[in-house]
Amino acid sequence: MGLAFRVGVELVAGVIVGAAIGYGLDQWLGTSPWMLIVFFFLGAAGGMMNVYRAATGQGLAVGYDKNPDDDGPNGVGPKGSDHSDGGSPDGGKKEG
Amino acid sequence: MASPVEQFQIKTIGPDLHVAGMDISFTNSAAFMILATVVVGVFLTQSMSGRHLVPTRIQSMAELSYEFIANMVRENVGSEGRPYFPLIFTLFMFILAGNLLGMIPYSYTFTSQIIVTFAMAITVFIAVTIIALLKHGTHFFSYFLPEGAPVVLAPLLIVIEVLSYLSRPISLSVRLFANMMAGHTMMKVFGGFVVALGIFGVAPLAVLVALTAFEVLVAVLQAYVFAILTCIYLHDAIHLH
Repeated sequence: MGLAFRVGVELVAGVIVGAAIGYGLDQWLGTSPWMLIVFFFLGAAGGMMNVYRAATGQGLAVGYDKNPDDDGPNGVGPKGSDHSDGGSPDGGKKEG
Repeated sequence: MASPVEQFQIKTIGPDLHVAGMDISFTNSAAFMILATVVVGVFLTQSMSGRHLVPTRIQSMAELSYEFIANMVRENVGSEGRPYFPLIFTLFMFILAGNLLGMIPYSYTFTSQIIVTFAMAITVFIAVTIIALLKHGTHFFSYFLPEGAPVVLAPLLIVIEVLSYLSRPISLSVRLFANMMAGHTMMKVFGGFVVALGIFGVAPLAVLVALTAFEVLVAVLQAYVFAILTCIYLHDAIHLH
């Protein structure tokens, strides 16, 4: 449920921010309604990008790692080389 | 019958205070925020005052919550995240206390106000941006152009990346606010059914019992989600892509 709700909110937030910026630019530049239309779709694209990142586990998706024997930083990309703490064996044990 | 959204009404306690055209009166929302801070403070100081080598039950609770967040920071931000542990621990305990206090009948859930969650989210957002700028300087702006992307697409990609970055405080605040508000409204609606249906009210009552337990889960889960997303944003700011 956590991931599903996250993804939905992420999508809506992108659209809201895009539409708000587009509306603001329209008010400022007097180009109504073009900026609103353009930024609505750009915002939707940004939201989908966040959803894609959350779903594929790169960058933003941490914390929903259901795999208990994965002791890496839960999917924070392959570049996460911070195993300096001795690869904690209790990684991700409190998901449930 | 009382409206299900009546519980979210802000009521002024004490005198009406206005400074420079702004209403700064003390409200029930502010009272519960102070109560949450006091509860967390008393819980952490009192439970740790004994300093037993073998922890008592309450000391164990405090140590568990500390270790939970410490592990979260270490796993998701890395060892560079150490200095930011107090911020994340404070956010987590404050939201958790607010959510759980809201589960007590007749209390007020301040996390169901969008302005409260947005204030916390925008604080995190600004702090994370400043940390990234201090750590990487102007190199931070390379974050907005994915590596290896064709230059022709750069104008489009940069705008989309900036928008997806700017949508972070919105999604962070709306998630917590929407969860708390929807859950508490639903509980009040089912509570209304129990009263309205008379003897047949046992059916919605059973649902209400399950819903209350579920709402406790959501209260803890949303505090956890807020804290872990703050960790992820911090990780992005410190390491960049």
